[in-house]
Parts: sequence; C-alpha cells; structure tokens
Amino acid sequence: MKEKTTVADIDRSRYDFRFEEDENDFLGSGLTAQIVNELSAEKNDPEWMREFRLHSLDIYNKTKMVEWGPSIDELDVDKIVTYIRQKSRMNTDWNDVPEDIKQTFENLGIPQAEQESLAGVGAQYDSELVYHNVRKEVAQSGVVYTDLESAMHDERYAEMIKSHFMKLVPPTDHKFAALHGAVWSGGSFVYVPKGVKLEIPLQSYFRLNAKGAGQFEHTLIILEEDSYLHFIEGCSAPKYYEAGLHAGCVELYVGKNAALRYSTIENWSKNMYNLNTKRALVAEGGKIEWVSGSFGSHVSYLYPMSILNGEGARAEFTGITFAGEGQNLDTGAKMIHNAPNTSSYMNTKSISKSGGISTFRSAVVVKENAVGSKSSVSCESLMLDGISRSDTVPAMDIRTKYADVGHEAKIGRISDETVFYLMSRGISEQDARAMIVRGFADNVSKELPLEYAMEMNNLIGLEMHGSIG
Amino acid sequence: MSELLKISDLYVSAEEKELLHGVSLSIESGSTHVLMGPNGAGKSTLGLTIMGSPEYTVSGGNIVFEGEDITGESAYERAKRGIFLSFQDPVEIPGITLSEFLRNSLEQITGKHMKLWDFKKKLKAAMEILNMDSSYADRDLNVGFSGGEKKKSEILQLLMLEPKLAILDETDSGLDVDAVKTVSKGIEEYKARTGGSLLVITHNTRILESLDVDRTHILSAGKIAAQGGAELVEDVLKNGFDKYIGK
Amino acid sequence: MNTVKLNTLPAPTFSWLGVNDTQRELDEHNAQSITLTEKRTSIDVSADSAFDINAQDGENKFAAMFIGGENSLQIKTNVDIGSSSQVTLVQVFESKAQTVSEVTARAAGNAKFELIQLYLHTTDTVSQADVTLDGRKAEFTANIGYLLDDSDDLDINLTAKHLGRKTVSGITAKGVMNGNARKTFKGTIDFARGCAGAVGTESEDVLLIGEKAVNKTVPLILCAEEDVEGSHGASIGRVDEQHIFYMMSRGLPEEKIIQLTAQSKISQTVNSIGDEQTAERIKLILGQGDEDE
Repeated sequence: MKEKTTVADIDRSRYDFRFEEDENDFLGSGLTAQIVNELSAEKNDPEWMREFRLHSLDIYNKTKMVEWGPSIDELDVDKIVTYIRQKSRMNTDWNDVPEDIKQTFENLGIPQAEQESLAGVGAQYDSELVYHNVRKEVAQSGVVYTDLESAMHDERYAEMIKSHFMKLVPPTDHKFAALHGAVWSGGSFVYVPKGVKLEIPLQSYFRLNAKGAGQFEHTLIILEEDSYLHFIEGCSAPKYYEAGLHAGCVELYVGKNAALRYSTIENWSKNMYNLNTKRALVAEGGKIEWVSGSFGSHVSYLYPMSILNGEGARAEFTGITFAGEGQNLDTGAKMIHNAPNTSSYMNTKSISKSGGISTFRSAVVVKENAVGSKSSVSCESLMLDGISRSDTVPAMDIRTKYADVGHEAKIGRISDETVFYLMSRGISEQDARAMIVRGFADNVSKELPLEYAMEMNNLIGLEMHGSIG
Repeated sequence: MSELLKISDLYVSAEEKELLHGVSLSIESGSTHVLMGPNGAGKSTLGLTIMGSPEYTVSGGNIVFEGEDITGESAYERAKRGIFLSFQDPVEIPGITLSEFLRNSLEQITGKHMKLWDFKKKLKAAMEILNMDSSYADRDLNVGFSGGEKKKSEILQLLMLEPKLAILDETDSGLDVDAVKTVSKGIEEYKARTGGSLLVITHNTRILESLDVDRTHILSAGKIAAQGGAELVEDVLKNGFDKYIGK
Repeated sequence: MNTVKLNTLPAPTFSWLGVNDTQRELDEHNAQSITLTEKRTSIDVSADSAFDINAQDGENKFAAMFIGGENSLQIKTNVDIGSSSQVTLVQVFESKAQTVSEVTARAAGNAKFELIQLYLHTTDTVSQADVTLDGRKAEFTANIGYLLDDSDDLDINLTAKHLGRKTVSGITAKGVMNGNARKTFKGTIDFARGCAGAVGTESEDVLLIGEKAVNKTVPLILCAEEDVEGSHGASIGRVDEQHIFYMMSRGLPEEKIIQLTAQSKISQTVNSIGDEQTAERIKLILGQGDEDE
C-alpha cells in the first residue's frame, strides 16, 4: 500500500502576532473624492499629487474588474480601510520607534538583519515608514534611500519624482493600479547616482497590521548609468478574519549599463488579496534581475514586467510559488522586448498542495524592432496531492523573424522512482519526499541572500507527516 | 606534392575563452595526416574551425586552402572549395530525407543539375559499400539513427560529395569492430577514388590500419606539442602522451 | 450576419495579448448533414457542412477533407469513437475565403483519434478542435502543419481533455510564416481530476521567414490531477544555428537551407499521413509531386 505523506503547511506562527489598533485612527471605509482629498491633505501632498489622486479615482470608478484570473468577488474594496495613519512619525533612530511597533519588527528579526548585513532598512508599518536609516557610507556615496512622501517635498528630488511617478504603471493600466494612484501611501524612494555600485543590499520590510486594512505602498527606484543595487522587499501580515487588500506598486528605472536585483519574499496572511503591480524599464545594456517567492495571500495576482527598452538590455526572472490550502496564487512574469539584441530569461517553479491552486502565467512579447533578441522560458509545476490544482498559461507574441524564442513547461508529481532510489540509499520515504521538494525549490533559494534563503526554508517548513526528528 | 591546406599561427576562441594558441600545420594534396591529443586539447575545435563553425572565432593567424585565405569564409564557401568535416556528433534534421539533402548538397557543390536517376544510382552504390540498407535514403537526416548509423551517414556523404580534404573527427569512436571495418572501407574507397587528403582525429589505430599515415600531429592544451611520421602514432599508443606534453 | 466570438481560450489570460478569443461575422450555418460511413473517404468540401464520423466495435475509419472553394465556409465535424476503435481525420485547408471549422471528438476506452490538419496558404481560417478522452487508455494525436503567406490569418484552438485513466495526448504543430502572415496557435492539455496515469505533450515549432509575420503561441496545461505527466515546448524563430552550420558544411547556401527547412516543416506533417493517395494529393498541391523520371 502506498501511504502518501503530506507536506505541512508553512509555519506562519512567527508572523501571527499583532497589537491592538486604536479605532479612532481609521479614516473611514469606502472611497469618495472627499476621502481622497482628506488623505491628500493629511499627507500634505503637493498640488499635482492631489490632482493625480483625484484623476486616478476617476479612472478607478470607470475601469472594469479584470476578466481573467482568480476570483476576487469576495473582496469589497469599498470596505477596505484605505489609510491608517500611524501615531508615530518617521524615525531615524531605532530607539525612538514606539515600543509595540519595535516589538513587531524585533519579532521579525529586522534590526539584527540590518546590523549584520544590510545597507539600510525601511520598514513600513501599516501606511507610513516608521523607521528609516541608511548607513552613513552609503549616504555619502550619494545614494538616496528615503520614504516617497518626504522625497516629494525635497526640492532635490521633487521633479524627479513628478516625472517618474506612475509613468511606468499608469493608473489606466488596470483597476487596482487606478486605486493605487488614488490612495497610495508610504513606500520607498531610492536613487543611485551614476557609477555607484552598492555592494550590500538595501532592504525594506512591509507589514500590514490593522484589521481589514489596505496597503498601497509605492516603491520608486531610479538607477543612473553604470550603477548597481540589490533591493530586498519582504512582506508579511498577521492573520485576520476580514479580507485585507494589498495593491502596491513598484516602478524601477534601470539606466544605461546599470543593474538592479530586486528580491521579494511575500508571505501575506492567507486572507490577503495581493494585487501588486511591479514594472521595470531597462535602458541600453542594463539588467534587471527579479527573484520572487510567493508563499502567502489568499489570492495573488503578481506578474512583474520587464520592458527592455534599450539595445542589449537584459531581464531575468526566477520565481517560486507555493500554494497551500485556501490559496489561489496566480503568478508569473511579463517580458517586453522593445529594442535590438535584448534578452530575457524566466525560470519558475510552482508547488500546489492541500487544495491550493497555483497558476503560472506569462507573456513574452518580441516587437518588430527587437531584432537579434532571445527569450527563454522554463516553468515547472509539482502537484503534491490529488486535490490541488496547477495551471500553466504562457503566451508568446513574436513579431520579428530575427529572434530566438524558446519555451518549455513540465508538470508532474514526485516520481516513485526517485523516492525509491533515495530509499535504496537508506533515506526514509518522508525524508526523501521532503528532500525532493526542497531540491525542487533550490534554484530559487540559492538566488536569495542567505538570511532570506533561511527565511524561505522556514516558510516552506517542510515537515513531513509523522516524520521523526 | 602541392600544399592543400596551410594553417599558420592560429588562435581560436569561443565564448571569450582562448582554446587554440598559435597552431600551425600544413597538409599536402593526397596525404594522410593524423591528429592526436588528450581530451580537451582542442582537436575538435581545430576541425570545426577549419570547417568554419560560427561558434569559434579566429583571433589570430590564418587558414589557407589551395593558396587562398579562407579564414573569413562561411562553411558553405569552404564546402564548395572541397573541405569536408565528418562531425563527431552530427545533428538530426527532421523532415529532410537523407537523399533529398544529399542531392541538394551535390548540386550546390558541383553547380550542376543531376538527374534523379543518376543520383539514385550513385547513392545506391555508395550505400552498398557501407552496407547501408537502402531504406536509410528515405529516412529523415540522422533522425533516430544510432551512433554507428550516424557515422556511416557521414561517410556516405563523404563518398557522395568527394571533397579534396576530409577531416574525420573521431569517426571511429563508439563503433564496434565490424562498424569500424565498414567505415574504414568507405574511407579507403574515398581515398582510392579521389586521391583526396585526410586529417584523421582519432584515439586508436584501427581506423588507421588500412591507411598510409604521412604525418602525425600531437595537440596538447591548444598547442602543437609534437609532430612526426607514422611512428608517432605507435609511440603514443604504447607510451601515452606524457612525454609529448611535458609531464 | 452575427458577430460571434470564436476559439475562446479555455483559461483566459491578459486581455491585451488579444488571444482570449477571435471574432468573426458569421452567416446562419446552412449545413448539409453528411454521415461518413465508408471505411475510407476522401471528400472535397466547398459548402457549409456538418459531418458525422462514427466508428464502433473495433472499426478503423479514415476520412480526408480538402476544404476550399470560393465561398466563406462553416464546417462542423463530430467524431464519435467507440472502444477499441480508431478514426483518422485529415483536414486540408486551402480556401481563400473565410473558413470556420469546428471538430468535436470523443474517444472511449482504448479508442484512438488521429487528427491531421494542414493549412496551406489559407487566407482567413478559424479552427477549433475539442477532443475528449473519455475512456481508459484513449489516445489522441494531432499533427498540425501550416504554410502561410502574405496577409494570411490563422487562429487555431485545440484542446485535449483527459478524463479517463491512462489517456494519452500528443499535439505537434509545425509551420512556416512568410510575408506578413498572422497566426495564433492555442493548444491546451486539460487534465481533469481522476485521469490518473495520463500523459500529455505538446510542442510547436515555428519558422518565421516574413519580415512582418506575427506569431502568437499559447500552450496551456490545466491540471487537477496529481498522477499525470504534462509538458509543452515551443521554439519560434529562425533555423537552428547548428543545423545551419551542418548543412552549410555540406555546401548548402543559407537561402537553400531556409527553403529546405520550410519544406521540412510541412513534409513532417504530410509524412504523418498513413494514406498514400492523400499524401500524394497534398504533395501535388504543394508542388512537390514526384519529378521527372
């Protein structure tokens, strides 16, 4: 008799703690021009931003819901509290961060990580950045790492932000991009000057704490010519019964011959709707590398797009998605080749178990002018039981003959032969299965910085049913 | 004997790595040369470079064939001049039959239209020499062929195209005794019929038994380590490469 | 005339790609019903038709349709294959007018359905095939070949639905696009819960020759069963560089290599036809009939 062992759910207990919110802090549910105006006033927006928010709200009201992908019928956006103003203002010294917030971050191990290996940490607790620090030497090199709101009021960056903000992801892109444009709050602004190569990564850590709250942070990163940056984004949220919404937006501008590595581990709680939009514009000779792990959320729509806009621009996407019980994770990437000799490479793995649904969705577009371009996509899916679901939905749109486009996909389960082989070398069946799943995820974990790889291993928490030790 | 191929101080690289560092050798019309060397010495690189593989870049030196510098020419132009390479691992090309392919090749190389009947006759005769079943002619080029069948298919093409210089890249490796005999018969036939030159890349003597070796070159780490006559082959087989590669 | 959505992708995706469906103006379907009862049928189709092919009790049926003529066409083909029976359907599309075809097939235990479709310079074709592998060990193979020119427009939507245990599907598409031809190939392998032991493979190999050709490839795998093996691959672009070098080293210039490779894409599909007469007729259409002697 074949006894199927099951892989345990991700251990999220470390993340399931929270502190009570003061109900008075809520600005009210539902979305009207009045709310947007209030929000704008609260944030002391420049006038152009207030107009931008109202314009986005208008687009939001006129835009239809997406007609493909997982159902988001249960999500009542009007009920999501769009903004929670944290009592605390920006802090640059960890000692000034309020105790309960500090406790949360310390539980997540953020300050230690910063001390040990990170150049700077920006943590967003609900809607505003509460803690911000960039190491002195990093700041001296001219690198700017701050929150978007203050940068908008700093005359050195005001114009830069105005000319880049939601230009890559316009509010017309889709309904949740419009919502984001109207109510965005918090997030990071990073500027790396010409020729500066940051050896140590910058990290931001997002958390959603308030019940039913939406989080709409905006990340804007601009890399000038010949610069390098590794930016790490981590997300988690404790468990609540009301559905939460995350509709963030990430805009990355990679200059000529610059390289940006953008790593994410997303571990929102399982009632979260994660409708995030990420996009990179890569100039001549530049490179974007995405490393993405999706473990949390109830529903996810996440397809980072790379627009290869200059000759020889490159993009790489490495991703893993783990969908467990009650999760419908629709993830993938989009590659747009819009210049000669560009190249893109996509390598993804997805795992489905305990009734979870994972969908790999991709688009590779090679435009007429992208002569000499190359694209290769490889995606693999693993079904860990017979009650889950795994779909693969790639699309290619190729408009020049001077291109090489390859695509391969595989779906299957853990092969009995492999388990047998490992068992014949003295490994128990449980261990063999766990080993195979870990090996399956290996190409992603080895792309992550060490502390994140360890976090991912914790997240996968591959405890086998009945395993001993 | 007149000089057919002359390679002078050839530097070759692939993917920014230099593989050959100043190789020189020349091959006279009608002669038989042997190229030996340890694994990774650059033997196949040299063969593929003479044929004009786009995977390799010549970064120095030149290749002259019948007095003309062909270093910058495409594989197609070199084939028309009479250079042939028997690939170590020939590609499989589905949808194009062996006979269709060969007929096109032959017409391109000779520049003459060949009547189907004449072509079939010539093909049948060549296949008989190699003990190839006539059904192979209608099979897709190398598709599903075993290792030995692929090598026979290469020698069949050699017999059909009758080049002036044939480079045989480990045509005998992985073949059983009978298959080596068959392939050798094909090579002898080529030699007898055309008087062409050979550059044989090999690890053993069986394929050389029926050939009169004129000259032997030993390649090591991308350089010619030794050159000599037929006796060099014997010596290498008996004592190994060590003394030639300075170990 | 009604505007009708055709070739709906079984799992829709990003709408901006324009692959979720295609729309056409259609007349009322004025079909003449035809049941193909013979063991072997070869038929010219130039008017709206609804075909029925039914193979039972170990029967093995072959049908070839040459679909052409001057008028816009709607063709429906319903294939029902009983246990241990087999149907081979060859459809050769060569019409210069709008053609809408729909094949629906169902295969019982150990039944086999072989679908061969060739699209030869068809101006505007929308072709759908839904194949349901109902019974244990039912098998489906599809060999699709297309040769498109100028502003030819082709939209194919093929689905193999695995219901039965140990069912097998294999979809192979090979084609050549000249001029500013447009083509969308949607191929779906759908593993339903319970189809344990099923295997599905799909591949497309597209040679782009035309400077302005537009190729869209959408290969889906939908999977609700653990014990399956599914894979798909696609290769789009020029002739493989190793192939070019090999053929060049045997004296062929690049133009000749492209020409030969283009021919090979179609001949691979033609060669999958077991019926000599049908294969010969297609070769004649392609101008590749046996020459001289």
